[in-house]
Amino acid sequence: MLFFRSEEQVREWCEVNGYPKRPLVRMDQLWGLATAWYGTRLQEDARRPQPEEMRAIFAGLGLHGEFWDPQSDSFG
Amino acid sequence: MKQERALEFDTQVKLAVYRHFAETAKAPAVSEVARRIWSDVESVLAAYKRLRAQRLLVLEADGKSIRMAPPFSGIPTQHSVEAGGLRYFANCAWDTLGVLAALHKPGTVHSRCEQSGELLHLPVGLDGPGPTKWVFHCLVPAAKWWDDIVFT
Repeated sequence: MLFFRSEEQVREWCEVNGYPKRPLVRMDQLWGLATAWYGTRLQEDARRPQPEEMRAIFAGLGLHGEFWDPQSDSFG
Repeated sequence: MKQERALEFDTQVKLAVYRHFAETAKAPAVSEVARRIWSDVESVLAAYKRLRAQRLLVLEADGKSIRMAPPFSGIPTQHSVEAGGLRYFANCAWDTLGVLAALHKPGTVHSRCEQSGELLHLPVGLDGPGPTKWVFHCLVPAAKWWDDIVFT
């Protein structure tokens, strides 16, 4: 999970390393993810979002598609 | 009843770990966590395993040193955050903003463009960062993040 100066830099990085290019996330969307995941992390009832909650968070930020589907990523 | 007591204890351990990170920007030693909650090292280590299963901790191979208490990193990384006079390390780009979201403090994110090496110094207020053309890219699909969380 990395930062890039621009989409062009992402494209170059993927080509150089033979990686698939994934959906890009804007910084305001990343702030939405950060607050949803970690906004209560120092509180007593802190926990990581479960898959259904993850889906809702992604959809609410406009992050759609198979890449963002946590599928069977259950835990705990 | 036994399970309820374990959950209560795990919550104490979790809070002790995360509050130590928030207050010092460093991972606590297991003995510090035990002392903070008036417990013993063996009980804290047992709780660490349960917290790992909940994806709230990642331990080093020794089973007792904290590598990650997301968004905080127990080791130096290329992603750091200045806030409240401390410099925190984050596990990844996402977690830099995560540190500020967890602390509920403004700060500055320091990282780099992975392709060009250009440095990023991003001021972040209580409502998030201002407009910027920098972007975030994640190589691993969401369903696979915890298959190898260090790589992710």
